[in-house]
Amino acid sequence: MPYCVHCGVELDATAAFCPLCHTKVLDLSQLPDPAAAQPFPTQRGEVAPVAKQELALLITAMLACVAACCGILNLFLRPDRGWSLYVIGAAVMLWLWIVPPLLARGMHLLLRLLVDVVAVGLYIYLISVDLDGKAWFWGLAAPIILWGGAVLLLLGLVLRVYRRSVITTLTILIGSLGVFLFGVEYLIDHWLCAAWEPSWSLVVLTICVGLVIPLIIVRRIPSLREEARKRFHL
Amino acid sequence: MAENGGASQWYRLDNAGVLYSALQKETYSAIYRFSAVMDRPVDRQALQRAVDKTMPRFPTFRVRIKRGAFWYYFEPNDAPGPYVKDDISNPCQPVRFQEDNGWLVRFYSYDCRISVEVFHAVSDGGGALVLFRTLLAVYLRELGHAIPNTCGVLDVDAPPRQEELEDAYGRYAQGKGRRMKHRGKAYQNTGTPEPFYTFNVTMGFCSVLQLKQKAGEYGVSITEYLTAVLMKVILDKQHREAPRRELPVALAIPINLRAWFPSETLRNFILTARPVVDPSLGEYTFEEVLSQVHHMLRLSVDRKRMRAELTGNVRFTQNRLLQIVPIALKNPVMALGYRIAGVRPYSGTYTNPGAFAVPPEMAPHIRRMEVILGQATIPRVHCASISYGDIMEITFAGTQKETDTERDFFRFLIRDGVAVKVESNRTE
Repeated sequence: MPYCVHCGVELDATAAFCPLCHTKVLDLSQLPDPAAAQPFPTQRGEVAPVAKQELALLITAMLACVAACCGILNLFLRPDRGWSLYVIGAAVMLWLWIVPPLLARGMHLLLRLLVDVVAVGLYIYLISVDLDGKAWFWGLAAPIILWGGAVLLLLGLVLRVYRRSVITTLTILIGSLGVFLFGVEYLIDHWLCAAWEPSWSLVVLTICVGLVIPLIIVRRIPSLREEARKRFHL
Repeated sequence: MAENGGASQWYRLDNAGVLYSALQKETYSAIYRFSAVMDRPVDRQALQRAVDKTMPRFPTFRVRIKRGAFWYYFEPNDAPGPYVKDDISNPCQPVRFQEDNGWLVRFYSYDCRISVEVFHAVSDGGGALVLFRTLLAVYLRELGHAIPNTCGVLDVDAPPRQEELEDAYGRYAQGKGRRMKHRGKAYQNTGTPEPFYTFNVTMGFCSVLQLKQKAGEYGVSITEYLTAVLMKVILDKQHREAPRRELPVALAIPINLRAWFPSETLRNFILTARPVVDPSLGEYTFEEVLSQVHHMLRLSVDRKRMRAELTGNVRFTQNRLLQIVPIALKNPVMALGYRIAGVRPYSGTYTNPGAFAVPPEMAPHIRRMEVILGQATIPRVHCASISYGDIMEITFAGTQKETDTERDFFRFLIRDGVAVKVESNRTE
């Protein structure tokens, strides 16, 4: 009968380590028999993903109903102007945001972001067509949407690859917000006066950097990191 | 209580059932498991036959849960099954009301072990053990042994009795009701969460005689002794973490009310006691913790106070305002209420259904009993124990990676002269 040298508890004959302190069982005269019946089954209960089709169907029905109702109302209320197209466009955009990820489980991040950005771009484009604002769409809105998509993509990839602790996630989120707004002002300046004079975004970026520095310090110094984890149960 | 005759006979959930059904989600499991390790490998066909014969005798377990506009309710489940399945390494998985033909009871077999898992809204441990005892008796009969209907084994050929179906909370909810007052936050004893659907179970086996002798030396019962050991190791763990301010350590100890309020119900009939020790007042020795636990547990089994508390709970669910709130709104509110009143004020749960008694003819065929509580809402361990013959089985189960609590607990017993054997489903 093996015993744990640290805990003093008796272990199962098949145990290769103590489950309490993870000390290996090193008894050369009596090695654990891997073929013997384990005290617990080794087969894990597989958990089937929850069926999301019903939810997708419900959301589709709700959005379609809203679009149809507004379309019909438009025939009687201000029929000279196609205001319902705004609502219908918003419903399409929401549908593209919510339903494809529900139906396609494990949808690739890149594809999902592409669909989301295209949905936003399409909606804003429709508005620009209605308002006869092709100039501002191509000059300002499209670059901002693309810039936002690029930042989101980078954010998604970093958060997926990098080991995510709460502190790291918060640092990256705040940093990305600063960088995004910095880019937004650059694009606005470029479109309005073809020259770049950073002002408000610089303030925002500085605030973000100011917020990020203590987080990086906490993340980098093990004793502080442990203290933060302990205090906040992270 | 049956609300209607005929095929559409439906049942209201009892007080505890209302809570557990509202809380059920993918990361919380109000499922508990009882297992019996038999003297020889389980005959799966015989066990399935035993399940098929036993389940009709227990209509409160043969139910599915349905979602009404304002409350959940039970209705008889005539779907095929429940079927005996191969056991899995991650037991007590959260229940999904729409899946597995709506069954809220599951049966597993592995090598010599027979397990039953029950959703807590259906029944408490006391009721589930009656089902399990009867199932084991029928199974042994299927194998050719003569087992009488004594020691709590129900006759599966007799019709179910009305007393077994009653909502005992409703029956005893009389007089002045009192809701428990707000309780402060206790030390949470959390750890690093494991990935989704990993459930770590560590079981310790020790001698009931040794435990009884040790508890006798301190002048307490086995439950009080084990509760005090658990509280002491959690107190020490918090102390080692050196927080700025040490929080009280409190445990939720379910009390089977059948001993104080005569009832044969097979549904829920429990309340929880809350022994608590506040280390901010100073360091408590084990003997002091034991003394606190001993007196607090005895104080909490005051029949009048228990009746007032259960009456208060029943009145709460009968509140007119609460009744007209749709279930979709009620569930999140109840989940929040549970977090504030059922999770924050406790450092863990310890339940001891006591000795599992069987007819003498059954005893040689069962080697030992086991019990497991499902995963908590936060990554921390729940502790449960059950004794059979001279074997006391103590389980720590949870979704956290660390083994501090169980390690310190079993090391404490070893130091106190109680020999322990440990088994676990941990693979690393």
